[in-house]
Amino acid sequence: MTGRANSIIIVGGGASGVVLAAHLLKSPNPDLRVTLIEKRPHFGQGIAYSTLLSAHVLNVSAAGMSAYADDPGNFWRWLLERGLATPEQAPVYAPRSVYARYLGELLDDLEVREQATGRLRLIREESLSITPTASGVEVALANGTSVVAHLAVLATGHDEEPAQGHAIRMGSEADTALPPDSRVTVLGTGLSMVDAFLSLEQRGHRGDIIAVSRRGLLPSPHRKGNPIKLDVADIPLGTQLSYFVGWFRDLIRENQKAGIDWRDVVDGLRPFNQKIWQNWPSSAKRRFVEHTKAWWDIHRHRMAPEVYARVTEAVQSGRIRLVAGRVVGITAADGFTVEVQSRRTQRLEAFDVARIYDCSGIVRDISTSSNSVVRSLVDRGLARPDPLRIGLDVSANCEIIAGDGTASAKILAVGPLTRGTFFEIDAIPDIRVQCARLSKRLLG
Amino acid sequence: MLTKKGKYGLKALVHLAQLPAGQLAFVNDIATGNNIPKKFLDAILGELRNAGFVQSRKGKDGGYRLARPADEIKVGHVVRVLDGPLAPIPCASRTQYQRCEDCNEATCQVRHLMLEVRQAIAEVLDQRSLAEMRDIVIDDLLVARDIDDLAAASGIDAPSVLVKIPA
Repeated sequence: MTGRANSIIIVGGGASGVVLAAHLLKSPNPDLRVTLIEKRPHFGQGIAYSTLLSAHVLNVSAAGMSAYADDPGNFWRWLLERGLATPEQAPVYAPRSVYARYLGELLDDLEVREQATGRLRLIREESLSITPTASGVEVALANGTSVVAHLAVLATGHDEEPAQGHAIRMGSEADTALPPDSRVTVLGTGLSMVDAFLSLEQRGHRGDIIAVSRRGLLPSPHRKGNPIKLDVADIPLGTQLSYFVGWFRDLIRENQKAGIDWRDVVDGLRPFNQKIWQNWPSSAKRRFVEHTKAWWDIHRHRMAPEVYARVTEAVQSGRIRLVAGRVVGITAADGFTVEVQSRRTQRLEAFDVARIYDCSGIVRDISTSSNSVVRSLVDRGLARPDPLRIGLDVSANCEIIAGDGTASAKILAVGPLTRGTFFEIDAIPDIRVQCARLSKRLLG
Repeated sequence: MLTKKGKYGLKALVHLAQLPAGQLAFVNDIATGNNIPKKFLDAILGELRNAGFVQSRKGKDGGYRLARPADEIKVGHVVRVLDGPLAPIPCASRTQYQRCEDCNEATCQVRHLMLEVRQAIAEVLDQRSLAEMRDIVIDDLLVARDIDDLAAASGIDAPSVLVKIPA
């Protein structure tokens, strides 16, 4: 594609889409044309950053949230310039709505800068499908028109899947007012459950929250630290999962003996996580997702200390009850009876609740995606799920892999959709690096 | 540094990679075919099994075979398991770091260069698979020997990425 891929459509104007546009537009190429398409009224929000609740803060401190891979201090300076943080406050976990504003302003600035050049075009419309043509791609929009370009990049982020069964999504239309003392069930005990708890508190809800997940694990809090330095030469690559986990446990133990916090070891591994994932045999990947990921996630994807303090207080007071088990039955009557089988004792326990919130995570089988662009690509054999079905199969160069195994030079993807290949690609620090690499490859 | 253990392990894996997929090899055959002491080989194969590179079957018809295709196993994967972190010299490793008693590492030029060598080792070994190593044809080996001979004739050491130091 070198030299000829001047026009690029980005499908999805959430965080990944805006970050990619920003990196592409760093190119001096006057013939570049970037079209960013977003179905929501605002760019830069997606699902992750559309919450208006100030208690919903970022799970990564401001120092890690710059949109630019080569300018890690960009967001932090933006906060300081606006008086939204002071230097002595660091680490700051800014509200997600503030982050959405940052990305929105960043895009506004780009729009102003590129007005005369015509290199950036924003379209507020839903995309329906991407079709390869002789000279590039055509993206069909919900208003009946279409846009063409040399190539398209999918940046549709996390799917907003409808909740399953009797459960509903927090903040959806079905999430009507509740009696403040009513008991509710939350499916999930991770960061989404924490968000739900904060939303309920904000609404003045006082009833008990029964949070159920297979293991009942709560994510850990952040602590100011200093990641250990590792080198790829140190890390056992390509082994079976148990061998790797044994090595990593030993590494944590040795470091803890030297007075180093486990967080610094977990964070020290971060630069190599994609490499570790890509070198694992598929059996190790499958085992990891099935058995180890839940443990990894609570140590790796942590929450702001202030938030953790609120949640643990609620757990200690009995307001939140963390249940490790499996929901085996839900009966709807006046409210719901949720039957849970305990992971440890196998005993059944029934909870009468007024509502069931689905906070059970965002990874679902991609081929049943509610996103019409993704689904239509899979249906036509232009894309396929990755072997673990947690995203779309893409090459190491972000090219979508078709049903017959060939990588497309015209349709690419960034962000959470690519997690089957890149593993940790949900958060800005990883997405911005992916976008920087892709921009460099496409535009030089 | 590649120890004898690492070298024997790689030879054993190349031996297994030469067999038709799924076929088991007797430990004795691997040992005699590659001049590896049998007891040492047992220990090495045990470690390779723990790491998921080989599978074994017990009994009269038992033996070892590769646990996955030879093109999926990189040489660097194996060397790390058998010899630990890739490093040409112990002071150039982060996790298995050992300070040299006899020098000041802040000013040690040798260590500085060896850090660069560590990167080069990882780059070579993580790119090359067992299958590629197996398929190195004898012509290449002859060329390699010529380079060695040439170096020996001119009185300098042969160019070699892996510096062999006894364990």
